[in-house]
Amino acid sequence: MTMLPERAPGAKKLGLVIDLDTCVGCHACAVNCKEWNTGGEAGILPDYDKYGPEPDGVWFNRIHSYETDGEGGSRTVNVPRSCLHCEDALCVTVCPTGASYKRVQDGIVLVDTDKCIGCQLCSWACPYGARELDEKAGVMRKCTLCIDRIYDENLPPAEREPACVATCPSRARHFGDLADPDSKVSKLVKERGGVDLLPGLGYRPTNKYLPPRRATIPTAPVKPPAPSGKGIGTALLGLLDKALSR
Amino acid sequence: MKPAASVLLLTTSTGFGFGLLAWLGAYSALGLLPGHARILVVVGVATALLFASFGLGASMFHLERKERAWRAFSQWRSSWLSREGVAAVLTYPVAIAFAAVFWRDGQVIWTRLLGVAALVASLGTVYCTAMIYASLKPIRQWHNRHTAPDYLLYAVFSGAVLFATLHTMDLGAPGATASVAAAAAAGVALIAKRAYWRHIDTQTPLATLAAAIGLPKGVEARPLDAPHFTENFILRQMGFAVARRHAVKLRRMVLAIGFALPLACSILAGLALAPMATTTLAVACAGIGLLLERWLFFAEATHVSAVYYGRRI
Repeated sequence: MTMLPERAPGAKKLGLVIDLDTCVGCHACAVNCKEWNTGGEAGILPDYDKYGPEPDGVWFNRIHSYETDGEGGSRTVNVPRSCLHCEDALCVTVCPTGASYKRVQDGIVLVDTDKCIGCQLCSWACPYGARELDEKAGVMRKCTLCIDRIYDENLPPAEREPACVATCPSRARHFGDLADPDSKVSKLVKERGGVDLLPGLGYRPTNKYLPPRRATIPTAPVKPPAPSGKGIGTALLGLLDKALSR
Repeated sequence: MKPAASVLLLTTSTGFGFGLLAWLGAYSALGLLPGHARILVVVGVATALLFASFGLGASMFHLERKERAWRAFSQWRSSWLSREGVAAVLTYPVAIAFAAVFWRDGQVIWTRLLGVAALVASLGTVYCTAMIYASLKPIRQWHNRHTAPDYLLYAVFSGAVLFATLHTMDLGAPGATASVAAAAAAGVALIAKRAYWRHIDTQTPLATLAAAIGLPKGVEARPLDAPHFTENFILRQMGFAVARRHAVKLRRMVLAIGFALPLACSILAGLALAPMATTTLAVACAGIGLLLERWLFFAEATHVSAVYYGRRI
């Protein structure tokens, strides 16, 4: 059903918190996502023209790098972009078949690829560009928040997190329940002033981004090195230096 | 947004078909059809359904998994695309019943009522089509108060020129009412299109790159490295930017071919100047002009997600 579910009291709101301050833009999250969700010719994240001049394919996660100017100087900001599992997910309500849906119990937005007709309207409805067409299977693909990892009881509890979070070498990605104010992710959002992307459009995304912190650390101005040594030798060398510098 | 041939044909052709059906329904409801106009009604409804069917058939080519298309009738509670499908399918029995009863009984109270039903069903379907675009918040050129009335207007206009042609074929002249209706619809459509362009030209982008990546106000951002070196699905669909260089010329062509020529032709036909030739020319021009107009509607539309790639939105 593509009506958005009424959120039950106490229901989880699973999502990611991404730290733009510590993300180094290494693309490891995107690569591990592709690995876990299977790339290749017929994978869920298929590749086209893999070794040709125009390689292309489906990715759940895309990493942009930007240059920013503002208070505190210029800096590079790396922004991983994936499905934000919005509360007002227009991609769900526009779906004519019921293939696109939002789970009641945890808010994860999924595509039932057995029902999808590949009309691509959901990709038009998403302002974040998070949905991509699988041109091989003719259905839409999107981030599942690694639903097949986070609920897998055969995995050790510490590994029950999305592939992108598990692999991040700078610990810039965090996974948890954003409906629980005491969860690690909710506390992070509170402490660091986590924000929504494109808040003006009103999709109410679940995933939050932690803004970059001060770009520069104040340091004392650099002084020229003091002349080393004293006496007639140093004075003569000083004179020689002055004469030669002319 | 990338203009897909299937969607351009869908919206233009169903506009002609459902527009024509709306005019036949309106004429019947108002008792403007002569009692002996059985052939006009039956041929008119058949033509309308042919245009609508061609458009709906073309839309199938937009689907990657056509064999599952039946599923699209299920989500009418939330999806305008689903509503469009349901409304289109419901219009067929109404139109067929209208034509059948008119054929048997001519102009009676039942054909008046069925005329109203055909009018409501056909324009209702066009409205659903328009709302598919008007409801998409990431596309400022679509998500505005112009889109829905404009689609209705272009359907009424294209239906009017088609109706005048059929009227001429059956009765030798388009008649004063049909000529005036076609000319007036062309004029209003022209004004509406110009108002729409003025509106989208004065809009501001939905977001800045800084807002799109969650940076506070006053921070400037520009792309440094893209996530990939080749065009992907998102850029092909949402980053389409081919038309904008030629937009001014293409807009003039839409106004001239799509609206001004049919307007002139309808006036000439109304003055009984070669009505068969002028009404047919009006239909041909409206068809070409509206296809071009629809192409621009897509090509000039920008999607907010392209801002992540530093493209103009």
